[in-house]
Amino acid sequence: MSESRFARLEDVVLDDAFPEVDLVLRRGRHVGRDDGEQYTFLVDAQDHLEPFYRRYGCELVHKSDGYFYLLPTTERLGRRHLSLVEMLVGQALALRYLDPEVVETGGVVSRDDVLAHLAGVVGAEALVKLLNPKLRRRQDEAIAAHNVRSRVDGALRKLAALGFVEALPDARFRLRAPLLRFAEPLRGADSPEAQLAALAAAGEVVVGDALDEEDTSE
Amino acid sequence: MRGTSTSDDPGARIVALHASGVALDLGTLELCVLAALHLKAEHLGVAAFAEDALVETFTQVIELTRAASDGELGARRRASAVLRRLREQRLLVRVDGAGVVRQGEYALSRLATGIVTFFLEDEALTRESLDVLVGTLLACLGEVRAALPALAGAPAEAWRARVEQPLAVSLVELARGIERRQRGFDLQQEVFQREIGALLAADWFGAVERCTSLLDTTSTLLAELHELLLRHAHRLTEALFEIIEAAATAGATDAERAARAGCEQIERIAAWGGARQRAWSDYHEWVHRYLRDVVRLDPSRVLAHRLREQLAGEGPRYALVVANAPSIRLLREDLVEPPSAPVRRPKRERDVEPEPEAPQDPDAELRERIRGALAGGARGLAEVTARASDPEAPLDARFRTAGRVAELVASSAGLASERERPWLPTTDDLVVEEWALTPRDAEGAGG
Repeated sequence: MSESRFARLEDVVLDDAFPEVDLVLRRGRHVGRDDGEQYTFLVDAQDHLEPFYRRYGCELVHKSDGYFYLLPTTERLGRRHLSLVEMLVGQALALRYLDPEVVETGGVVSRDDVLAHLAGVVGAEALVKLLNPKLRRRQDEAIAAHNVRSRVDGALRKLAALGFVEALPDARFRLRAPLLRFAEPLRGADSPEAQLAALAAAGEVVVGDALDEEDTSE
Repeated sequence: MRGTSTSDDPGARIVALHASGVALDLGTLELCVLAALHLKAEHLGVAAFAEDALVETFTQVIELTRAASDGELGARRRASAVLRRLREQRLLVRVDGAGVVRQGEYALSRLATGIVTFFLEDEALTRESLDVLVGTLLACLGEVRAALPALAGAPAEAWRARVEQPLAVSLVELARGIERRQRGFDLQQEVFQREIGALLAADWFGAVERCTSLLDTTSTLLAELHELLLRHAHRLTEALFEIIEAAATAGATDAERAARAGCEQIERIAAWGGARQRAWSDYHEWVHRYLRDVVRLDPSRVLAHRLREQLAGEGPRYALVVANAPSIRLLREDLVEPPSAPVRRPKRERDVEPEPEAPQDPDAELRERIRGALAGGARGLAEVTARASDPEAPLDARFRTAGRVAELVASSAGLASERERPWLPTTDDLVVEEWALTPRDAEGAGG
């Protein structure tokens, strides 16, 4: 066990930072270096909190990119997988995070920039079809585009709540290190398929049939 | 456009500017001509140029920049057009005042000098420029402070000449010089941030060392500037407070106001350092993390390439799993009373059972009155009608009553009439045909 300012789990639980950190982790938020005290608290308390959360059927994951999150391995605490639109927007944000262009702005992107980037990579027409799955017949283009914008807005809000980005005024967002989680299956020396299978086995991602239980209520 | 409005209200000044239709229309060539004139004036130590010198400078610029030229005559014509445009926009001003008597002399206006200086001079704030400017400022303030003991009880003119004017001119101008260099520094930072992005875009992993070095150099410079600004601002504010106190004691309100304005300007200058350092600190941290997490971990940019393909729909679909614990349900501590029942009217039967009621004969009363009249001895229809009718009733009501009386009398009494039946009045305004009446009883007794 490394040097820690906490000798026992009791000290961790009694710390002022614990209630808030515990709540945000359980709600799925990723706590990164940008979160200052919360991140420092987790680093210090990691050795005590890992077995603590394991009893709830969760893993407290600490990535080398500099962020923590809670990964439920059972249904005891409640879990969900990100929806199609959240994944699309998350991957587009991750791609922006890897783009040297964002260095100029210190990692700040606008909603319009994300949308343009997404449309550029996926294709505007394909994006409209993907995000309007119930579209049976030719619909008014403006309505379909409006629907895409509002679904992307909703996804950005949810991703901000999960700590992937930080919402700033004027529909701008600061990209955060947890976005690299979206690229996790594509990292490493293994083939993406093998990596994806390993992550699915670890409960980090869902693939195949499980995705059909998509949340289409948005 | 100073002088167009004397008002201090910024809104009014903007409106006045808009009303006067101010505009600048400068192309690259015009800017180069202005810059050439500015540099020439500095080099030769001249303040103004004759018309020939202007045309010559224009021709030199054309040659240097290899802009299209149509020979000497064409160049002269084009020079005239460009110079006219510069004069119209008050970038060149005539300074000789000779009118049409001889060729004029022209100088760059303050506007032109400002524009050219922006493009030519590197006016970013540095340790050296800050030291020089603050040193001059302190010297200026030192002179003002030295004059303070002699100003006790002096007239307002003396305060104006020894305190107010030096503060208004020297302090304000020098402080503006610092602020201008701060803006220059901001501009330099923008360029610098673009440069880091461009370095990474061009040389990705190879640019890491250079980017790190650039970041560290700027961080050190900003920290030094911030520290210097704080230290100098403290000394300047101290000196200004001494002047404020002395002016307040002597009741020299204008001098006090000028010193307070100087104080505010110094505070603004010091605040710039803090704000820039905070902003830079965020940027510095973010870029460092980017270099460490992104560039070093993905030196060949494979990850970005794979992610782009994945997003374009070329890989298997997957979705991240996140914790989603429901919020803890907290029960209310206070008992919440259910809302009171709405006010309701008791139900009642809307359909009422009909009750038997004796039929009313509308003619019963009239019939009774006729019978009374006949019993009272009336033997003519006119008399019976007069007794049975209500004399107070309106005429049409009495008319209807007379008809009913005639009908009832016919059924309840014997009638006799002459061949010539006279019309007799029942009241002043109603006459009836007279019938001789015989009560039925009398008729029966008689017959």
